[in-house]
Amino acid sequence: MAITLYDFELSGNCYKLRLLMSILGVRYDIIPVDFYPGRQHKSDWFLKLNPLGQLPVLVDDGLVLRDSGAILAYLARKYDPSGLWFPTEPVQLAEVLQWHAFADDITATASAARLALGMFYDFDLPKVQAGAHRLFRLMDEHLWFGEREGRAWLCAAPHPTTADIACFPYVMLSEEGNISRMDYPAIRRWSDRVRRIPGFTVMSGIFPAGRAAAE
Amino acid sequence: MTLSTTDTTWYPVASSTDLPLRHVFHGQLLGRELAIWRADDGNVNVWENRCLHRGVRLSIGINEGGELKCQYHGWRYANRSAGCTYIPAHPADAPARRITNTTYPAVEAFGLVWSANNGAAEFAPFDGSASAEWLALRPMPINATTEDVLKALEGYAVTAEKGILGVATVTERLPGLAVKVTVELKEGHRSIVFFVQPVDSNRCVVRGLLDHTFPDINAQLRSHNEGLVQLRDRLERLAEKKPIPEPLTPSFEKVSVELSTMPEITIGSALTLRAMVKRKWATATGITAFELTALDGNHLPTFQPGAHIDVHLPNGLSRQYSITNGPGELLSYTIGVKRDLASKGGSEVLIDTVREGDVLAISEPRNNFPLRRDTIRTVLIAGGIGITPILSMARFLAKSNLPYELHYIVRSEDQIAFRDQIDALGANVTLHIGLPRAAIAETITKTLGAHSFAQHVYICGPGSLLETVRTTAADLGWPDEAVHYEYFRNDRVIDDSSAFEVELARSAMTLHIPSGKTVLEVMREAGLQVSSSCEQGACGTCLTGVMEGTPDHQDVYLNASEKRANNCMMTCVSRSLTPRLVLDI
Repeated sequence: MAITLYDFELSGNCYKLRLLMSILGVRYDIIPVDFYPGRQHKSDWFLKLNPLGQLPVLVDDGLVLRDSGAILAYLARKYDPSGLWFPTEPVQLAEVLQWHAFADDITATASAARLALGMFYDFDLPKVQAGAHRLFRLMDEHLWFGEREGRAWLCAAPHPTTADIACFPYVMLSEEGNISRMDYPAIRRWSDRVRRIPGFTVMSGIFPAGRAAAE
Repeated sequence: MTLSTTDTTWYPVASSTDLPLRHVFHGQLLGRELAIWRADDGNVNVWENRCLHRGVRLSIGINEGGELKCQYHGWRYANRSAGCTYIPAHPADAPARRITNTTYPAVEAFGLVWSANNGAAEFAPFDGSASAEWLALRPMPINATTEDVLKALEGYAVTAEKGILGVATVTERLPGLAVKVTVELKEGHRSIVFFVQPVDSNRCVVRGLLDHTFPDINAQLRSHNEGLVQLRDRLERLAEKKPIPEPLTPSFEKVSVELSTMPEITIGSALTLRAMVKRKWATATGITAFELTALDGNHLPTFQPGAHIDVHLPNGLSRQYSITNGPGELLSYTIGVKRDLASKGGSEVLIDTVREGDVLAISEPRNNFPLRRDTIRTVLIAGGIGITPILSMARFLAKSNLPYELHYIVRSEDQIAFRDQIDALGANVTLHIGLPRAAIAETITKTLGAHSFAQHVYICGPGSLLETVRTTAADLGWPDEAVHYEYFRNDRVIDDSSAFEVELARSAMTLHIPSGKTVLEVMREAGLQVSSSCEQGACGTCLTGVMEGTPDHQDVYLNASEKRANNCMMTCVSRSLTPRLVLDI
C-alpha cells in the first residue's frame, strides 16, 4: 500500500493534503507536477489521471482521486482512527461540507488573485479580491462570535475538522493576491490555532506560529 | 475634515480581547501600520510594524511572551522597550548598539487598546466614562471616510436598536472622532459610544462601547453587529460612487545616525540613570536582594541575559551586579548583593545603609556574558551568589522553550537565593547542597559529560569553582568557545613592575607607562576618555585592540585562546612583554 500525491509545491490545494497527512502521520510519495510555468496539469499524461486538469491528484493503492475536499474526506475517514477530522454524524457532516464548499469559494477568489499577481493568470483582479474580502468578512464574524460562544474552530465540534484544513491555505496566502487580513483579527487568531495543531507543517508563504501560552 | 498623519489624538486601535497571550495583532492608525502584542505580564505593546533590520512586518512575528521574534532573521525585541535582545546571526555577541524599534504609547481602558502618535498628551478618559462598566462591541472595519462614518453613526440607534429596544435617540459628537448615542429604555437612559479609528483616508474601524448589558450578551452583541453591518454596507455603496481620497502618506523616519554608523572608538562613561530602591529583602543567608525601578515609573533600558549594571555607591565606589530578570521584565531590575567581609566597602554599604525609597545612580546594562540561543544543550552552573546572571539566563531559555539545565551549588539550604524563581523553573534545576569541595570536580564531570556539537556551558561563581569547571571542561574535550564564564573579581596579584611604551594608533600619541601605573591611568592623564569599570581585569569594559607588541595579560576576562591570540587586552591591569605596544585607540 502506498500513497502518491501529484503535487505542486506552491499550490494551496495540494498543501491541504500534505497538511492533513502530516497531522495524521500518513506517509506518502510526491510526484511533482509543474503547474507553473510548465502547465503540466494540462498535459496528456496528467489529463488521463484527471480529465479536469486540476491538482491535486492522490493515488492510494491504485485508487485515483481528485478534488482536494474529497481527498481530505477520504484521508480522514481512512487514516484517522479517532474519526474526529471528518465526522459522519449528519449535522456535523453537513457543517463540514458547507465549509468545504466555502473553501472552494475562497479558492475561486483569494487563490485566483494570487494566480493573477504571481503567475500571470488572466483573472478580473479587483473582482476576485472583492470576492475574497466578502468571504473573509463572513468568516471573521463567524469566528469572532465563535470565540464569544466557546467555539475555537469553524465547525461546532470542540476540535478541528477538515473544514479548517480546507479553508486555511488560501486564507493564509491571500496577501500574495494583495488581500490584507488586517481587518480580520478573528481569522488571524484562528490561524494561530490551526498552526498549533500537533503535526502542523508549513509551505512557502505560510509561517509557523510560536507556542501557545502555558495553561 | 482632513486627517493628519501627525495628529496626536488618542484613538482605539484594538479590543482587549483581540490580544490573547502569544498572539500578534495587525493594526493601523492614520496610515501607519502597527504590530500590537500583549506580553505574558499583561503589558500591551504598540510598535511600528517594521523590523528595523530588514523592514519585515513584525505582525507576522512570534510573540514569545517576553520578547517578539521577527519571522525573517529571528531578531528578538524586548517587551516594553522594543530593544533588541538577540541576533541569531551573531549568537555569541550581545547586540552591541542600542537597536530599538519604534514604539507608540499604549493604554488599555474600557475593553479597548488606545494609541496615538508619539508626542501625544497623557491619555484622558472620555467624558462620562466613569459612569459604567463598558462592553466593547465587535469592531467593524468600513471602507469609507471617517466623516461619512461619523455622520452615519449619528443615525445609528434608529437602525439598530429600533427592533429590539424601540424609542428615540439623542446623539452627541465627542472629541476625538466619537459619537455618543443615548437611547431611551424603560429602564432609563442607556448609551453607546462609538469611536472611529482612522485607519487611512478611506478606511476606518468603528469601535463601540455599550454602557448596558442584558442577560443574553451574545444576542445583544449580534444585534449590534447586524446594525453595524447594515451601516457598513450602506456606507460602502455610497463610497463607491465618490472619488477615492488620496491615501495618507505618513513619513517614516530613517534609521537614526546612532544605528547606521559605527560607534565612537572611545565610548566615554556609560550613561548613568537614577533608580529607586523599591524593595530590599533578605533572599538568602548573607544575600540581600534589591529591586530597582525608574523614578518616573517608566521602563528601564533593555538588557540581555547575563548583563550587569554598575551601582554607584554613596561612598563613591561603584560595583557591578548582574540583573536576575527574565525576558521583557523592564519595570525594575532585581540584583542580589552578597555581604562580602573582604570587600573594600561595596556590598557592606549597600546592605547596611541603603534603604527602600533611596535613590541610587546606576549605569545602563552592559553585557560581558552573552547567552547563545542556538544550542542543542545549555548547561548553566552557578555557585553561591553566582546565581544572579545564571538565573536571568535560565529564565530567558525557559520562556523560549529552549533546552537547558541549571546546576546551583550552595553550601546549605538557607543560602539558596531567589528561591521562588528557582522553584518556578521546575525540573530544569538541580540543587547541589553542601557538596564537599572534593566532590565538586566529580559532580561537574558527571554533569558536563563529553562535549558534542552545539553544547555550551555557562559558569558564574567563586574563582575556585570557575577554575574547576574550566579545567574539567578542558579535560573532557570542551573547546574554549563552548565554555563561558564571568568572574566577579580578579583574585590574581597584579604585577605592575614593568615599564614600556604605548603607541595609540588612532590618537597619534605615544605614552610612557612607568612601573606602578596602569595603561588606563596614563591614558587618562593624557586627557583621553576611556571607559572602564571594575579596574581589576574582570569586567571587560576597557577591552582594547592590540595591533603590535605582546601584551602581558593579567586579567581574568579573556579566555586562554583569546589571550594567546594577543590581539586585545585589558588596559586596567595588563601590561607589555615587549618594549612597545601599539593599541587601536
